Amino acid sequence: MPEATTPTVAPSRPSLATAGRPRDAVVDAPATPDFDLVVVGAGPAGAAAALVAARAGLRVCLLERGPFPGAKNMYGGVIYARILDDLIPNWWDEAPVQRWVTRRATVVLTESQALTIDFRSSAWGEPPYNGATAFRPDFDAWLAGKAEAAGATVVTSTTATGLLRDGAGHICGVRTDRPDGDLTARLVVACDGVNSFLAKQAGLYHHEDPKHFTLGAKEVLALPRDEVEKRFVLSGREGADFEIIGGTRGIPGGGFIYTNLDSIAIGVVLGLDGLRKAKVRPEELIADLKRHPMIAPLVDGAQLQEYSAHLIPEAGLEMMPELSTDGMLVAGDAAAMCLAAGIWLEGVNFAIGSGIAAGETAVEAVRRGDVSDHGLAGYRRRLESNFVLRDHTKLRRAPSLVMSERVQQRYPQLTCDLVEALFTVTNPEPKQGAFRAARHHAKRSGVRLRDLARDGWTALRTYG
Amino acid sequence: MSAYAGGMERWSRVSFEDRMATVDFRVGTRAHITVDGDTCRGCTTKACVTACPANLFVPTSDGGIVFNYEQCFECGTCYLVCSNEGAITWTYPDGGDGVVFHRS
Amino acid sequence: MAGRPVVGVCLKWVDLRPDVDRLTGAVHRDERFHGASEADQAALEWALRMAEAWDGEVVAVSAGPPAAEALLRDCLATGVHRAVRVDLAPGAPSETVASVLADVLRDAAVVCCGDWSLDRGSGAVPAFLAGELGAAQALGLVRLEVGQPGSLVVTRRLDFGRRERLGVRTPAVLSVEGASATLRRASLAAVLAARDAVVEVAGGRPAAQHRLRPVHVRPYRPRPQARPGPDPALDPRLRLLQLTGAAVERTPPRTVVTDDADEAAELLLEQLRAWGYLT
Repeated sequence: MPEATTPTVAPSRPSLATAGRPRDAVVDAPATPDFDLVVVGAGPAGAAAALVAARAGLRVCLLERGPFPGAKNMYGGVIYARILDDLIPNWWDEAPVQRWVTRRATVVLTESQALTIDFRSSAWGEPPYNGATAFRPDFDAWLAGKAEAAGATVVTSTTATGLLRDGAGHICGVRTDRPDGDLTARLVVACDGVNSFLAKQAGLYHHEDPKHFTLGAKEVLALPRDEVEKRFVLSGREGADFEIIGGTRGIPGGGFIYTNLDSIAIGVVLGLDGLRKAKVRPEELIADLKRHPMIAPLVDGAQLQEYSAHLIPEAGLEMMPELSTDGMLVAGDAAAMCLAAGIWLEGVNFAIGSGIAAGETAVEAVRRGDVSDHGLAGYRRRLESNFVLRDHTKLRRAPSLVMSERVQQRYPQLTCDLVEALFTVTNPEPKQGAFRAARHHAKRSGVRLRDLARDGWTALRTYG
Repeated sequence: MSAYAGGMERWSRVSFEDRMATVDFRVGTRAHITVDGDTCRGCTTKACVTACPANLFVPTSDGGIVFNYEQCFECGTCYLVCSNEGAITWTYPDGGDGVVFHRS
Repeated sequence: MAGRPVVGVCLKWVDLRPDVDRLTGAVHRDERFHGASEADQAALEWALRMAEAWDGEVVAVSAGPPAAEALLRDCLATGVHRAVRVDLAPGAPSETVASVLADVLRDAAVVCCGDWSLDRGSGAVPAFLAGELGAAQALGLVRLEVGQPGSLVVTRRLDFGRRERLGVRTPAVLSVEGASATLRRASLAAVLAARDAVVEVAGGRPAAQHRLRPVHVRPYRPRPQARPGPDPALDPRLRLLQLTGAAVERTPPRTVVTDDADEAAELLLEQLRAWGYLT
């Protein structure tokens, strides 16, 4: 058993709050470690990594600090689980899903206006489905249960407090907050979420900039099932997903509404930098949203069932840490894999995708006996060849475009004013004509055509 | 309108205490947040006070900050918005302690 | 086995935060949110301490569904020697619960329980258990002093803030408050080992003729509190003022910030003296 807690030289990083955080412990790496693989965090990334590795016969420990997997997890959203097709055939028959999203609306809000692009597809309501709403304490517990059934050892109520390194400086396990809590392994996969203290401690994270993060705050409001279906025009297990641009008092971010079986989730996503400057409380912004004339009838009379909040790594490729080091891989939100690209808002699928890649790389590296950074190169290669890094690379400009002041404030106002002008009948005045109206409103909202053209070009390059 | 279409404003009357009472917190004995009072007294922005979704940071009359750790979502907003290096020290609570979401 | 005193601990597998539908009052329970109450955890801690002091062994018992074995595994990880689940449907009357627990704990020198269960229990099981075992009972304890084997001095909470110290001779059934002790944390190795440990299962025996039988159990309802209302003769504005206390002059709250615990304690005492609570 190791005892020395000699601090090693901490890598220099512009961190805001490292004082008091644990340091690496140097131990003698045992010839036979407790496990082949320790996965820290039983969220979708960790559970997927553990599932893949356990199925391949590795001795896997899946650590979770909550009393059960999913207890600490919250999102604003929809799970797109196509990535599970190969891993868990017919997953849709057993996954604990609230509703299948068949209605996807993008809403542009100003104080008194709303412009909605409302798409419905009945194909999304049938196998193999597209997106689903689910409670994370249900979904994550289910996925971690799959890993456990495959042979992984799930240890709950245990927090990883630091990394273990051998004499050569290679990571060889984690220290937990339990007595005699050192857990040695050939390889560690850090899936410890957006705050990833392990990735920071390993020196893989070079940023801790509030600009890169958004805060999601959400209310789950109870409403009888038939009432949800009536208000959102759904039937059976159909669900709705509303993504909202604007409506956050100018703080970069947005809002969302999702339907569960007998409740609705409504919330805001707020850039931390904007939130810091605006001096507004997050729940006030949710209240704003609920008061909006377009949204108020949807949430009227619904009772607050649970309030929650979580951080989102928003900046994509720009904030992504190094993905591996000697003895460790990083996956999921810990590696900033969340995709926040305006029209596409995905995270759980990226977590699962990176977790699968981490699991496969772990199997390969442990079998070959090379868990050095070099031996783990297959991880990045896998991510680059599938959607995880390809989407992030393609959409690398999206986060800054989406969070820009023009997209956040001016364009919503411009678009809504323009549509209002188009459809307001001004008799006896004759109709103005769309082009003249566009020019007039662009001028009034202070949008320069040059910027509009540039943003249009960026959007085309990004989303095209 | 249905029985649920009551007063439009009813939801907005949820007090902050009632709002937080909807969340399951298993309070541990160790405070996982600590705040350096001296730094806070010199802080003019005090971004944590408004940004924390659980409203855990409260300014005092002498310019400092009192904080609670019991009803923390463990999101990390406070240390990221804090403009003073090291004023807020934040770790995860001990295993099994802290927030337990049911429907998030 | 012979000679080593047995310390029993009874724990209930209970939803720590059941979900109550505000409109219908229906209670939804979920196994993920189940566990042992703080009082049961404190009972386990006391049992472990007693067994350590007396070189005894701890038997943990829970009467409940198969899912309760998760709780018993947690007990094994903290150092319990034997874990037994008695198969019993939830909602059994206290006397039945006590009689099936007693079957497992006949040899116990001391049995520790939480003071009452979280799901609006009445705290009657420990008393019934003492009756079944023919043991002494000391209930609602806030403190235990573990002495020589078979000797205990306990502190019991009485009404109006009074305390009572009792010398207890074994065999005895004790029930403790949640704040009386904090359960130790199981080591990582013990947690891993407990995953494969055996939890014995004892079948509940058919219910005997009970001396007490609940005839009707009404659901819990908070009672309305009668408060004197404002004088109906007054005009609405004055009644409103009386109701809200808006125009009453009061001392503003005093906020003091200090990092020094001694100073903080001194300030609290000073304030309590100023208010007349201490003399």
